[in-house]
Amino acid sequence: MSQLPDPIRDGLARGWKVYGGPHAALPQRLDCDVAIIGSGAGAGITAELLTQAGLDVVIVEEGPLRSSSDFHQRESEAYPSLYQESAARKTADKAINILQGRCVGGSTTVNWTSSFRTPAATLAHWQTQHGLRDFSVENMAPWFAQAERRLNIGPWLTAPNENNELLRRGARKLGIEAAVIHRNVKGCWNLGSCGLGCPTNAKQSMLVTTIPAALDRGAKLVVQTRVHQLELAQGRVQSMRCTAVQTDGSAASGHELQITARHYVVAGGAINSPALLLRSSVPDPHGLVGRRTFLHPVVISAAVFDQKVEGWQGAPQTIYSDHFLETQPIDGPIGYKLEAPPLHPVIFASTLAGFGQAQTEMLAQFPHSHSLLALLRDGFHAESVGGRVTLRSDGTPLLDYPLNDYVMEGARRAFLSMAEIQFAAGAKQVIPVHEQVPGYTNWAQARAAIAALPMKPLLTRVVSAHVMGGCAIGADEARGVVRPDGVSWQVPNLSVHDGSLFPTSIGANPQLSVYGLTNKLATGLAKRLSGRDVALA
Amino acid sequence: MQRRTLLKLGIGSAVVLAAAGAGVALLAPAWHDGRLADSGRAIFRAVAVAVLDGMLPTATAERDTALLAHLGRLDGAIAVFPAATQAELAQLLGLLAVAPGRIGLAGLQPRWEDASVGAVQHALQSMRDSSLALRQQAYQALRDLTNAAYFSDPTTWQRIGYPGPVAL
Repeated sequence: MSQLPDPIRDGLARGWKVYGGPHAALPQRLDCDVAIIGSGAGAGITAELLTQAGLDVVIVEEGPLRSSSDFHQRESEAYPSLYQESAARKTADKAINILQGRCVGGSTTVNWTSSFRTPAATLAHWQTQHGLRDFSVENMAPWFAQAERRLNIGPWLTAPNENNELLRRGARKLGIEAAVIHRNVKGCWNLGSCGLGCPTNAKQSMLVTTIPAALDRGAKLVVQTRVHQLELAQGRVQSMRCTAVQTDGSAASGHELQITARHYVVAGGAINSPALLLRSSVPDPHGLVGRRTFLHPVVISAAVFDQKVEGWQGAPQTIYSDHFLETQPIDGPIGYKLEAPPLHPVIFASTLAGFGQAQTEMLAQFPHSHSLLALLRDGFHAESVGGRVTLRSDGTPLLDYPLNDYVMEGARRAFLSMAEIQFAAGAKQVIPVHEQVPGYTNWAQARAAIAALPMKPLLTRVVSAHVMGGCAIGADEARGVVRPDGVSWQVPNLSVHDGSLFPTSIGANPQLSVYGLTNKLATGLAKRLSGRDVALA
Repeated sequence: MQRRTLLKLGIGSAVVLAAAGAGVALLAPAWHDGRLADSGRAIFRAVAVAVLDGMLPTATAERDTALLAHLGRLDGAIAVFPAATQAELAQLLGLLAVAPGRIGLAGLQPRWEDASVGAVQHALQSMRDSSLALRQQAYQALRDLTNAAYFSDPTTWQRIGYPGPVAL
């Protein structure tokens, strides 16, 4: 049994005020200065800053409070307990599988630690095309720098694992630039289990940084509780109605909690945040809530090498290439970022295509298997309007994201780029993850076959771990759900602080974009509500 | 010949089947009380034998034990899906459990219990290749769930050369 320290269990022993699930019984009412919905990237940053300003904060999280003692590096435990819909959340047509966290810390508890500032090209597009003139690289830099200091974000200096080294090797052979990824870790053991919850607390997720800081300052945390509805009257949120949920998300024996606050911050993540606004019938005169939801649709290319790759081992994503983002205009044909994801049995076997003897042969090569992923930068072109979040009859959210020809044409180019890099790195077989691909043994064969592949949804297997947009920041109320300061254009005591703010996708793993932007917004909110100046770091 | 007939059945029949789904699931629930009923187990057992062909233990007793454990893991995995997903899955299994659904949707003539590995694999491949989204979705649901449940168990890892997590 591990003897590692567990800062969450220590905090609970110190008397943190935690309610719901196995913790203190849910009270019927709570009153506070600010109620925060969610406990992920945006919520964590917000909670830390607001409590620093002396405000009384309640954080409500739908998922459970789990910590390093619970993180056994097992997919069978992590997916059902830490992810939305057991890591099998899907778009309406089932063509995209979405990985999103659902636990204290949100997706930051289970992400792969990749940390990028919002790319300059993305900010420039927001400035020129979305009227967000203040969002320059220079203006945003201090907010990112603070988040980087707070979360120990820096370049990964240890040698990459073989899975990532193959990306660098193949890219170098082709004259394509590849670089080291920055990660939010402190004393990382290089285990490779980031996606299953960090068992050593090295990952500087919200779970071990901002949420504990807020709880130490007296914030209350309510877990396994879903905010069902914001109750509006006289143009303001008057209270919010919450329901206890089981770990599978179903309602638990009618326990209800009413929370009243001066201000409400929605930070449940894109999909859940717009869904809450829809359930609450928050005024939406321009029909923008839930619209323009982006995913960075991801396609994957597996490859088999003579040498062992053991893609489960070592830091998951440490090398990337932006070559196919930077060599073309942001508003032209869709560009893509290349990374090398971690490989574990469940995610590998369920994401790849095929069955029977062919699958058995492929899985027998698991230790020699390598994978690249291409995340497609959506939302910058007239033909890339993303998806739309609506509500099912039971009030749960459903994202419809049509994979149109504009996106799928990019997926084909991404398959070609990944295959070429993998063959250049010495792959003996390359398998773009598509239902009609048997695997290719050389680049010429792959190039011809991929050029002729039917790039259709479902046939092409598409995943996503980055949900963005749906409650966009807008320069004016016709263009966004919230103002540039994060406050609703219609409801003055309601803010949105999470990835749903983005008017497009980011074009990079979004966690640091969420930290930086919500740092800016929450610092301002803390000042307005308390009159005090606070700083994240 | 068979394939052509199925394709001719086409979208109309799929829509009818989908509309009938809820009713079918109520009449013959394949997912009931938080676990797979006998009809659901028969479907997933046949699918497992087809999908995991070459992966399952070869000795009969070991194979039966592995399949039994696999079906238990499927129960556990499905039980923690959101209600909407469980309902969809119940509807799919309810459809596949009756002859019109099995033949129309999966393209499988014999009952799941009686079908050979080859027949089930042929049916899965026809769903996978189908131009009908409903059939493709059904294939991917059966296949992905099967792989996820099977490879979540440490006893299956040796066969694919995965050593398991590093002990701390």
